[in-house]
Parts: sequence; structure tokens; C-alpha cells
Amino acid sequence: MLVVDDSPVTRKMVRRALGLCGLEVAEVHEASDGAEALDKLGQHHIDLVLADINMPVMNGIELVEHMARDPDLCTVPVIIVATPMSQDRVEHVLDKGARAYLAKPFRPEALRDVVVQILGTQGGSHD
Amino acid sequence: MTEPTPELLTDILGRVLEESAFILAEPDQEPPRWGGAVLRASIAFESTRGGTLRILTNPQAASEIAANMLGIDQGEEEARSSGRAAVSELLNVVGGAFLTRYFGSAVPSQLGLPDTELLAAPPPDAHRTCAATVRLESGEPVVLELDLEER
Repeated sequence: MLVVDDSPVTRKMVRRALGLCGLEVAEVHEASDGAEALDKLGQHHIDLVLADINMPVMNGIELVEHMARDPDLCTVPVIIVATPMSQDRVEHVLDKGARAYLAKPFRPEALRDVVVQILGTQGGSHD
Repeated sequence: MTEPTPELLTDILGRVLEESAFILAEPDQEPPRWGGAVLRASIAFESTRGGTLRILTNPQAASEIAANMLGIDQGEEEARSSGRAAVSELLNVVGGAFLTRYFGSAVPSQLGLPDTELLAAPPPDAHRTCAATVRLESGEPVVLELDLEER
């Protein structure tokens, strides 16, 4: 799994939430923006990306667009984990290729539900 | 659209503190008297009206917020070193909540990137449309200020 957020606190919170909600994640990688995320995606096998939108260098929408164009990355699902936003912006992000949107702040169970919904299994081990 | 009120800011800040950091904050009608350094975080936004949201607090409160967000003891070094980033993220979430609560989710809105600075002394009062103060469980203050562009 890859957590992409420019806030180190949020990255740690997501890690903590993953542990609290009982999801078995084999390895959690971190990136502070979309460009760093693309580097990590090239270096590791990633099953799922949890990405913020509002980031410097390359934001979450640009990351989703880039991944959708890349034949090696277009099948990796992206869940946008971001601050509350307008409905048209949510639709825009989903149109670009994100698979789901989770608003901050979120409860660990909400994170688990959306991860299980996207990956389709519960209790399995994911990267 | 009515003008934003301190009650709206209190409600948003209180909810985000509770849901992000599991902190039950109490509203305080009195503005704080800062005794030392002040951490100020700012974030700009654009919607049908533009403006800026600011959080002012002290390093102790920032550490308390970070510790609660990360589920660690406030005395740990990580809590102290993460205080600034925690307040920055708190403001980010407050900003998103304010935009959808005040302008509505049907209106396109844009949030900037939060910026934080540690001031050695309390800053002079900045122009603001309204403000709200809450007290954390330790009694430390957190102020949320809104500076909304004139119509």
C-alpha cells in the first residue's frame, strides 16, 4: 500500500488507522507528493494507493491522471483521502480515474470499509 | 447567504478536533492572553468569496494535538516535533469543512496549501471577519480566525 500526503502527521495517522481497523497490510510505503509516489510505484509492488489531493509538486488529481495513462499503473486503484470538497470536485476526481473518495477526518472503520470495497477481500494481506 | 458567525467557527473547530484528534474542546468566550511563542497557521481559499483561515495556538497545544492525532504520549519527542505539522493538517481539514459548511457542497471551492510560522511573540491583531476560541482538555487555547473578502 502507498500513502501519499504532504503532511507527515497524516501519513502516520493513516498508518495508525490501518492498524486500528484490523486490516493486515504487509508493507506501507509513503510519499509526500504525486511525483514521489510515481517513483515509489516504480520501485515497489503496490496494490492500492491512498492519496491526498492538495499537495505541492504534483497534486493528487495529476497523480491519478498520470497513473491512468500509464499501462503499468492504470490497474492500481487509487482512493482519494482528502478534506471535504464540493460535489463537482469529487465527481471530477472520480472521472479522472480515482476509485473512491474518503473525506478527512475519517474513522478507522470508514477507511477499512472503503479499502475492503476496492480490494474486494477482508483480512487478507496487501501491499 | 448570511455572514459567518463565531458559533459556526466554534462548531467546525470543535468537530474537527474531536474527529481528527479525539479531543473534546470547550468554547471560550474570552480571547487568550498569549504568554510566549505563538504558532500561526494560515490557509487561503477561493469560492464565491475568497479569504483566509488562520489558527493561532501555542507550542504546548500543538504538541497535545499531535500526540492525540498520532496516539502517542504528549511527552514524547515525536509529539513535540510533530506539533507544527499537526496544526497545519488540522487547519487543512478545518478549511475543507468550512468551505462545504458555509458555501455548500454544490459550489466549486478551492483550498490553498497551509503555511505555518512560529512567532516569538503574539502577533498584532489581523483583520478578521470573525473568530472563535476553544480550550483543549489541558486548558490550552486554540483560536480560529476567518478573514473573508468583502462582497
